[in-house]
Amino acid sequence: MKTIEEINQKIKEGEAVVVTAAEMTQIVQQKGSKTAAQEIDVVTTGTFGAMCSSGAFLNFGHSDPPVKMTKTYLNGVEAYSGLAAVDSYLGATQINQNPDIGLDYGGAHVIEDLIRGKEIELIAEAYGTDCYPLKKIKTHINLDNINQATMINPRNCYQNYAVAVNSTEETLYTYMGTLLPNYGNVTYSSAGELSPLLNDPYLQTLGVGSRIFLCGTEGYIIGEGTQHFTQADRHKGVPVTPSGTLMLKGDLKKMNPDYVRGGTMPRYGPTLYVGAGVPIPILNEEIALRTAISDEDIKCRIFDYGVPRRSRPVVKETNYKELKSGKIEINGMEVPTSPLSSYKRAVLVAEELKKWIEKGDFFLSSPVKMLPTQGQIVKPLNISKPSKMVRDIESKPVIITHLTDPVKEVALKLVENNINHLPVVDSNGRLAGIVTSWDIADAVARGKTKLEEVMTRKVIIAREDESVDIIARRIDKHNISGLPIVDKDSKVKGMITAEDISRLIGKNN
Amino acid sequence: MKAWLRFLPSIINKSIISDTMKLYDIDFNILKANISPRGGKMLVDISGPQESESISFMEEKGIEVIPVLKVVKKDSEKCFECGACVSLCPVNAIAIMDDWDIDIDNQKCIGCGFCISSCPTRAISLME
Repeated sequence: MKTIEEINQKIKEGEAVVVTAAEMTQIVQQKGSKTAAQEIDVVTTGTFGAMCSSGAFLNFGHSDPPVKMTKTYLNGVEAYSGLAAVDSYLGATQINQNPDIGLDYGGAHVIEDLIRGKEIELIAEAYGTDCYPLKKIKTHINLDNINQATMINPRNCYQNYAVAVNSTEETLYTYMGTLLPNYGNVTYSSAGELSPLLNDPYLQTLGVGSRIFLCGTEGYIIGEGTQHFTQADRHKGVPVTPSGTLMLKGDLKKMNPDYVRGGTMPRYGPTLYVGAGVPIPILNEEIALRTAISDEDIKCRIFDYGVPRRSRPVVKETNYKELKSGKIEINGMEVPTSPLSSYKRAVLVAEELKKWIEKGDFFLSSPVKMLPTQGQIVKPLNISKPSKMVRDIESKPVIITHLTDPVKEVALKLVENNINHLPVVDSNGRLAGIVTSWDIADAVARGKTKLEEVMTRKVIIAREDESVDIIARRIDKHNISGLPIVDKDSKVKGMITAEDISRLIGKNN
Repeated sequence: MKAWLRFLPSIINKSIISDTMKLYDIDFNILKANISPRGGKMLVDISGPQESESISFMEEKGIEVIPVLKVVKKDSEKCFECGACVSLCPVNAIAIMDDWDIDIDNQKCIGCGFCISSCPTRAISLME
């Protein structure tokens, strides 16, 4: 049994025994948790991953004449300015105002450039008041010449996270990286056995006021993060799905770009890679045992990101040892895996923090308030006007054509029904292709008579239980004007077209 | 070996590649090609016992052969070893090493560019 005060005394005397969480796993395996609890004083953890819920409060100082900024842009990225006159919050995922730059340089990139000491263009607009007469300002700032630059991240260090795979036939670009079609790859983001909250799964040692490593300098836990969840299933005490989160604070002026980076998830958007490490005081044997958790014992679930819904189906359960091996078996196939967070940098974070403590530069702090450990759930956002489903608008009679039909007959069907798309079915009634009025014009121009030569075989489809909003996105993405609605057995249930969707929007508004 | 073959417009109507394959019995794998009547280039992987003879032959016939040592280049300042690219490589040319460094094997790389577009910091670029 030790106290934080006793550990701090040892740190002061240069006698504290500090190991990383990866080292602790080995130590406990070799010596047992009882001996480890006596010998080890602090276990350092680390993670270096994409943490979208991050950002910084900036105070620019007052100009002469003064301005009350209402719209603020930093290198073309808008920072929220609905706070006093010259305060703003720059969010990591904010995209660039310039559509040519868009996702390539966003809030996270501005944060990195600030930390690197670069000059940042500041443009602010205002409405003008008696005390703040200026209406527009354009200047340059850097980290040294602004008053405060305080990183406040509403949700960091997720305790475990989902693992992603894609069952559909197209490549998906998500916040979990690029997901190849047909279960082509698997991505995961937790650092596993080195990850802060996985080493203190019941949040016994950390809370409001805990001093931590944040982006190369000291930071603080200022509370539980948003979406903090305490009710997850556990294995060996560790949640198997995304669970607890932390809200963190640190001084941008002291940060080191080795431990914080801006990046862009391709075709998804900007995100901030945050290096964070939490020191865990080994107060007793139970805590020692918890910090000894191994990658193999940290289970997690692979979710199908091919389903763009809030609840995605679970494909299978796995663990971080398997994920870190580089491949995993799904449906009898060997699938390569990608981490999205840098384990190399996570190790550097844990080792740097260990060095600070060993040198007596960093002391542990007792939390002034513990984080919630029960009763915290993540509520869904209910849309007041529920999302329309494909089945809600498929009222028209199903018009189809058969593979064997001559082109002329197909043309007649299009004209008689006043439609532009016709699903083609095989002798079993299953979808075989799609033919449009344009295809028929093309067939006439080139003298083609067989439907098989004219139709498109690779058809983008819609399902009855999909939201119309998803279909609108699909129409836009593939630059098409209509999709056949198909059931589980590939039987055609109807058509949904861009016109149907515009009509629906017209009716609803 | 991997090489860029450059074709001038004056030689595009000659069947130099098929002659080379027949004469020297080499394995000739085309990774990328863009050839029009105005000339062009292709990225190929050539192997076989008569590899160097076949290259001399192609050069004699007017093809400029530029050996490729690196198909792609990783900027170690920008790369922070997240590993997002690893599972996207179709030929397993990208690996996470024992020290968690990301290593690209340029011998295996076919220059498809998938890792380039998937990199959050645009740390990988194609060598031309």
